[in-house]
Amino acid sequence: MTNIEEVRGVTFNLQHYSIHDGPGIRTTVFLKGCPLRCVWCQNPESQDFKPVIFLNLERCTGCGTCVNACPEAAIQIIDGKSKTDRKLCKGHGQCAEVCPNEARSLMGKYMTAREVFDDVNADAIFYQNSGGGVTLSGGDPVAQPEFSRAILKLCHDAGIHTAIETSGFAKWDIFKGILEYTDLVLYDIKHMDSAKHKEYTGVPNEMILENAVRIRKELDLSMLGRLPIMPGYNDSPENMERTAQFIANDLGGGFKVHLLPYHRLGETKYARMEEPDKAVSITPPTEEHMAELVKIFESKGLETVVGG
Amino acid sequence: MSARMKRLLKSIEVEKYPLCIEKSRLITESFKRTEGEPMIMRRAKALANILDHIHIFIENDQMIVGNAASKPMGLEFDFYAGLWSKEEIEGLKEVGYVISDDEEKELLEMREYWKSYNPISRVGQMLDDRLWPFFQSGMVLPPWKDKEEGPGGGYAESGMGLGPGFYILTVDFQRLLQGGLNRIIEEAEEELKKLDLTDPDSMNRIAFLKAVIISQQAIIRFAERFANLADEMAAKESDPKRKEELERIAVTCRHIPADPPRTFYEAMQFFWLAFLMTTPSPTASIGRFDQYMYPFYKKDIENGTTTDEEVLELLQCLRIKDMHINRTSGKLARQKNAGMAKWHNMTIGGVIPETGEDATNELSYLVLDAVKLCPVPHHTVTVRVNENTPEDLMLKALEVVKTGIGMPAFVGDRSYIEYLLSEKVSLEDARDYALGGCIDATIVGKSRIASYGMFIISKIFEITMNNGLDPRMNIRMGPKTGEFESFATFDEFLDAFKKQLKYFMGLHAERNNIELQIFRDLYPDPVRSAWMYRGVQEGKALLERKFPFENAAVLNPVGLINVVDSLAAVKKVVFDDRKVGQKELFETLQSDWKGARGQEIRKLFLAAPKYGNNDDYVDSIARDIYHYYAKTATQFKTYIGGTHKPTGVSISAQWPGGALTGATPDGRYAGDCLADGTVSAMRGMDTHGPTAVILSASKIDQVPFQASLMNMKFHPSSLKTTDDLRKLSFLIRTYFSRNGKHIQFNVVNKETLVNAQKEPEKHKDLIVRIAGYSAYFVQLGEPMQNEIIGRTEHEEAA
Repeated sequence: MTNIEEVRGVTFNLQHYSIHDGPGIRTTVFLKGCPLRCVWCQNPESQDFKPVIFLNLERCTGCGTCVNACPEAAIQIIDGKSKTDRKLCKGHGQCAEVCPNEARSLMGKYMTAREVFDDVNADAIFYQNSGGGVTLSGGDPVAQPEFSRAILKLCHDAGIHTAIETSGFAKWDIFKGILEYTDLVLYDIKHMDSAKHKEYTGVPNEMILENAVRIRKELDLSMLGRLPIMPGYNDSPENMERTAQFIANDLGGGFKVHLLPYHRLGETKYARMEEPDKAVSITPPTEEHMAELVKIFESKGLETVVGG
Repeated sequence: MSARMKRLLKSIEVEKYPLCIEKSRLITESFKRTEGEPMIMRRAKALANILDHIHIFIENDQMIVGNAASKPMGLEFDFYAGLWSKEEIEGLKEVGYVISDDEEKELLEMREYWKSYNPISRVGQMLDDRLWPFFQSGMVLPPWKDKEEGPGGGYAESGMGLGPGFYILTVDFQRLLQGGLNRIIEEAEEELKKLDLTDPDSMNRIAFLKAVIISQQAIIRFAERFANLADEMAAKESDPKRKEELERIAVTCRHIPADPPRTFYEAMQFFWLAFLMTTPSPTASIGRFDQYMYPFYKKDIENGTTTDEEVLELLQCLRIKDMHINRTSGKLARQKNAGMAKWHNMTIGGVIPETGEDATNELSYLVLDAVKLCPVPHHTVTVRVNENTPEDLMLKALEVVKTGIGMPAFVGDRSYIEYLLSEKVSLEDARDYALGGCIDATIVGKSRIASYGMFIISKIFEITMNNGLDPRMNIRMGPKTGEFESFATFDEFLDAFKKQLKYFMGLHAERNNIELQIFRDLYPDPVRSAWMYRGVQEGKALLERKFPFENAAVLNPVGLINVVDSLAAVKKVVFDDRKVGQKELFETLQSDWKGARGQEIRKLFLAAPKYGNNDDYVDSIARDIYHYYAKTATQFKTYIGGTHKPTGVSISAQWPGGALTGATPDGRYAGDCLADGTVSAMRGMDTHGPTAVILSASKIDQVPFQASLMNMKFHPSSLKTTDDLRKLSFLIRTYFSRNGKHIQFNVVNKETLVNAQKEPEKHKDLIVRIAGYSAYFVQLGEPMQNEIIGRTEHEEAA
């Protein structure tokens, strides 16, 4: 056994038969940890590195079994429902294990690269027939660069097509290590204006845009554009126009662009993390609006679809 | 959709289904006249009496004629599966059927006559101390109430033949279309001339051949009645277009079915009249329709005498006609066939028998188009998939699946053909298989299943845990194989289960042999018998002769996956991890997971490995149990000279079967629905996506099964684009390349189903897949609706 098989990291879901994260039938490995903090985040459970507890209050009966199970004494029963002190919670998960009502679940699991690979490789026959493979997503695979690199290398060496879905916010030297074993990059572009980008995601966009160019120009890797469409934040015609221009000119075009309309899944997730106030209320874009945006990209000669 | 089709669709919407007695009356009349004659002769004469006198009608707008009951959308009472009592008829009235008081009275009077021909009481007489508890327990559904009435109620069905139903066979439509019924009559006359009276069977042979002639002539006269009616209607018709259609009907029905059809239209009309004679039977198979109809299609298209549009309209008319063939039964039997269950299965695709080349043609595509344009639950369609099946056909089929109608189903040629070859069927015949019933392999004209039970294996598991006692009835049913607490190892427990399983398979086989012989004596069918391979020349009815693929009886497990999951959980929690003692588990199950540690223990058992997640721990148990089941089934013979065949479809028996089974160690509560299908995972237990389910199912050797059913549910978001469909096609093909037999899909989101349950009036057209058939969701009972809602939905997360 080589070292890279033993590299450990944290995942929060391994989704088989993923059909919207790259070509063919794929397995998407969702990794924990993200360098961005987008206000519209739809997977808030993925932001932190450590596992996090989801609490479904509808199922909680306030029985208190979890209170005794928690080694950090982070849980109390208040008004007939359990409540977690998120500052004390270390994400051990004992509360989820003992909860008789399945109100608590642990999002996040420590795994070795080998364990991830074995799970991915189980579907090899489906990849072969459909031209699929593995996609690392998250969170962001750049947040666990060693782990990501190890998984990608194991898959790559086994002949499995590899893709990553990333914000691109990483120092080039680190990023390059991951990209070495990557066949396809699903690249998120959230906003072209760096100040706005910082306002909405917590980080500026210069490094992101620069990395995108280097991936295309220096490494000549295949790319898929993945643009989250957040009404009121990044869907103005000007921003869309600039994004399309960037893809068509700076990145050389020639690859597909997916426009991903906002959906409301994230809102319930914040509630489960006992932080309902963090959820922003965004109205999902209409189909007509999406069709107009598609036209902007198509006018630059980019093949564009709504959804993954 | 054309205006005609819209009107036709509207015409099959009824508030209440009419129950009819005209057919029973005509049979009874005839039977009273023919006392003492050979049974097959009496049956042929009864059929002739029906066909000569039953009320006939031609529906507005329809281009294909031949009504299935004496009233539109009606169901004719039948006595062949048991007697109808006042109570059972009242039960029907409560659930949406209607009958006049006079007719109900007349029906109950006829009941007295049919008592002497009641198959149920004949079976009842055969039940000794071993078999009676077996019948009462419902281990083969439904449970019997008493030896005279059985489970209660008979059948009420539409269809112009004599039945009995539930025979799974495909008559040789191709041969019928090529020679017409006159050829059958000529063959019978020929055989009569050659008769050797020194043959001890010769008197039976005479009766059979004469019965064949009487019945075929009656069918020809039946067609002539429609010709006359069409003429009468044409004379009065003011719309010139309809007038022309009626005149065409008249010309056609004077030509066919006596003589072979000359056009595709005539072939459609011929097919329908012939098919009508194979009903009432919910399992009458349509066979390889795109193959035997193709020559007529091709000729007309080449001649320019028809167009694809016309063909498409006729194919839709056929779907509407089939919606007229309905069926219901007594209350207990209704549960196992929820929602007007029937399996008029049309097979398309597959390979050419002689060469093995792909057999897809233009008609295969048109059949799928017709389903999409005319989205009614029947007839169902199954696509035979082989490695050369065109991707275009797969995509077209999945376009139909995507509409949420639950069809077509897909079956893998590789696994079916390998199975048939292992049964010593010739290569050409094996390649020519058609689906019968849900998805059982039939060889056209050369096989027939006549005894098919819903065998609740979870009950056997429960009885094993109780050392041979059935805890529900508190009666000893099986041998003593040891108290649950006494097993020192998992293997000892597993052995005990296998012993019980084998014992009950033996009882089931006895039941089947009794049923088969009573059906042989009471219900010889001169029509279907003659339409089988060398039917006239053999000179024997269906259950008196051996067929090239001899599959008269099957053993069909329901809830086997629950047993697999239960065994794995016992192995893991009790024997490997030793977290719960045998006594504690036993008591916890008896209390239905109550008691101090009940929920805690249930969590441990739920967390044990479950089938459907590509986990070898449990999948290896599945492989072992299925292998044992298949091997053991073929050890039990039938009187005809074949053996029982292992098969696997559950229809909706997972619901009444579950109701009879207590809590099981897979975490299931007492009375809860069992797993659907045969190789589907228990609902909610497959948490690793559809590929893991496929991989688990591929570890079971499915080849030795005549069928093995797999249901999958997808969220509509997984089937949006052509690219999505292509990926699903890969999934299907991969499954079949690993000897999977069958897969079918429900594509509807949970929300829609939940809403439909709340507001049925708004969702009358919502169709879901049950098991080998689709049904209107709102016509299902609530437990069955919940079962469908609970099936794991494969959907992508964010």
